[in-house]
Amino acid sequence: MATAFKVEPAEPVLSVQGLTTSFRVSGDWHAAVRDVSFDLAHNETLALVGESGCGKSMTALSIMGLVPKPAGRITAGRIMFEGSDLVSLDREAMRRIRGNRISMIFQEPMTSLNPVLTVGFQVAEALRYHRAMGGAEADRAALDLLEQVKIPSAARRFKDYPHQFSGGMRQRVMIAIALACRPQVLLADEPTTALDVTIQAEVLALLAELKQAYGMSMVFITHNLGVVAAIADRVAVMYAGEIVEVAAVRELFRRPRHPYTELLLRSIPRVDRHVSHLETIEGQVPSIAAMPAGCRFAPRCPLREARCDAPPPLAGAAHHVVRCWVRSEGGGHG
Amino acid sequence: MSRAAAIGRRRGFSHALGELLRAFNTNVTSWIGLGIFLTIVLLAILAPVLAPYDPLEQNIVARLKGPSEQFWFGTDVYGRDILSRLLYGARVSLIIGTTATLIAMVVGSAIGILSGYVGGRVDLAIMQLMDVLMSFPTLIMGLMIVAVLGASMGNLIFAIALTAIAPFARIARAPTIAIKQRDYIEACRALGYSDLRIMAVHILPNVMAEIMVMGSLWLATSIRVEASLSFIGLGLKPPTPSWGGMVREGFEVILDNAWLSIFPSLAILLIIFALNMLGDGLRDAVDPKLRGGE
Repeated sequence: MATAFKVEPAEPVLSVQGLTTSFRVSGDWHAAVRDVSFDLAHNETLALVGESGCGKSMTALSIMGLVPKPAGRITAGRIMFEGSDLVSLDREAMRRIRGNRISMIFQEPMTSLNPVLTVGFQVAEALRYHRAMGGAEADRAALDLLEQVKIPSAARRFKDYPHQFSGGMRQRVMIAIALACRPQVLLADEPTTALDVTIQAEVLALLAELKQAYGMSMVFITHNLGVVAAIADRVAVMYAGEIVEVAAVRELFRRPRHPYTELLLRSIPRVDRHVSHLETIEGQVPSIAAMPAGCRFAPRCPLREARCDAPPPLAGAAHHVVRCWVRSEGGGHG
Repeated sequence: MSRAAAIGRRRGFSHALGELLRAFNTNVTSWIGLGIFLTIVLLAILAPVLAPYDPLEQNIVARLKGPSEQFWFGTDVYGRDILSRLLYGARVSLIIGTTATLIAMVVGSAIGILSGYVGGRVDLAIMQLMDVLMSFPTLIMGLMIVAVLGASMGNLIFAIALTAIAPFARIARAPTIAIKQRDYIEACRALGYSDLRIMAVHILPNVMAEIMVMGSLWLATSIRVEASLSFIGLGLKPPTPSWGGMVREGFEVILDNAWLSIFPSLAILLIIFALNMLGDGLRDAVDPKLRGGE
């Protein structure tokens, strides 16, 4: 195994096993997330990459137990965290984990803060709620957090309302709230997508810094491969609700195996290479109600063969797995 | 640090109020309404000091005297001073009106927010019940309850509050349905907050402005209903002075001694007018925010 040099294969912090989350579309249940499995090691950043609607956000919401009911539900799989299966936990136990042991930050910083409550209150609230801190103690801790996420003159801005903050500053506040209880796992759902590029870089740097400081693990959801290269240790590429490839970030960028990953990488503009035109991936993601029976990428795949009519397994060496009949042979099947 | 430590827990409300006041500030009529209302409240509070006579003291010699220097607003059939009775009567109107409105505001808003937040069949069932409550005209409902339970202050308050719960529930429910889909409520769920906390701390301050407007308008209605019930004889038992009761007493001699009814009628008119001006001002203050969205 590729991980053999490690002294001890550490227990993963979070282990998602065969997660399937389904939605009811006009009477029938369809899997929006199908058989998704991944382990998250201590202090590791795993990027979940894929285009809109590929199920990456729904994977995160499934972990949080926030799949919108009654239209959606987790139909199979386990999510192991701190010795228990999150899928089978009751509401009350799940509530103690959310925002406390596992936190989530969202894409839209402009609307993710309550407009009628001050920023300081909203940071302190998480501490009062999960840590049962008193008002003054929570406020002090909240102020520390705002300073840690580098809000300029945090003490003066403590009583400001969200509309007095810029998008980047609001996302920092969201990060402060999410990290208030020092969670083991942070699920970041496109946290930089709504920000402009310079702010994006600052927020990414901040997240990386806090991840080290707090020793937490992170699932970073994005469709931006540039962001992936900047922050992730490992990457899981999702397509149409399935993980199609998992590899360390350098490995994936150097040797993409799945045709989808390869095409994705070829469709980003690069400054170090002159190309006359950018490639695109023909066709569209199949709709949730009309998934191909075999490989879900087959209808758009340039390497399509007859055997692609059967669903391919996620196969390959442990450090690089791929869900493709054609590509899993060459690179050490077994 | 000391700034941070000094932060209270009511910021949501104070913010909603602050927003309201800022918009309210530009509206002259609402200030007039508020001024008149507060003056009446002050007069009612100071009634024991200001009233020239005991409102219950009968004076057979001075019955049905017209307005004069001695009795500014005249006297009634038992020779009781009408000004004194008006001042004390204001207390009855205000206590019943405000208590009933506050109860309706708290209960109605809670029902409305809960109903809107939970949604689905619960929402449907609750709102159907509210529709049934609303289908009774306020006065008829009050009449029924007082007729069945008897005319005590508690029953009057209960009767009036019951009729006002449904409108408060509706006014709180509508924005709740919009707000519960906002990102920041989803963020609250992701933080593991209980539903109760989300409703009380995160939704309530957002619907407070609408509830306040409704409150000022329903205060006027409550006072009117109390006066109407008293007028038809279902109010507080005589000799306790109440405005509606005074109009009724004066009604029997209205052809010869009109002031008996005119002064309490004017008092009722004035307070309802003031509260409506106030409510309209508040509504205008809230409206642009509603149209603009967040």
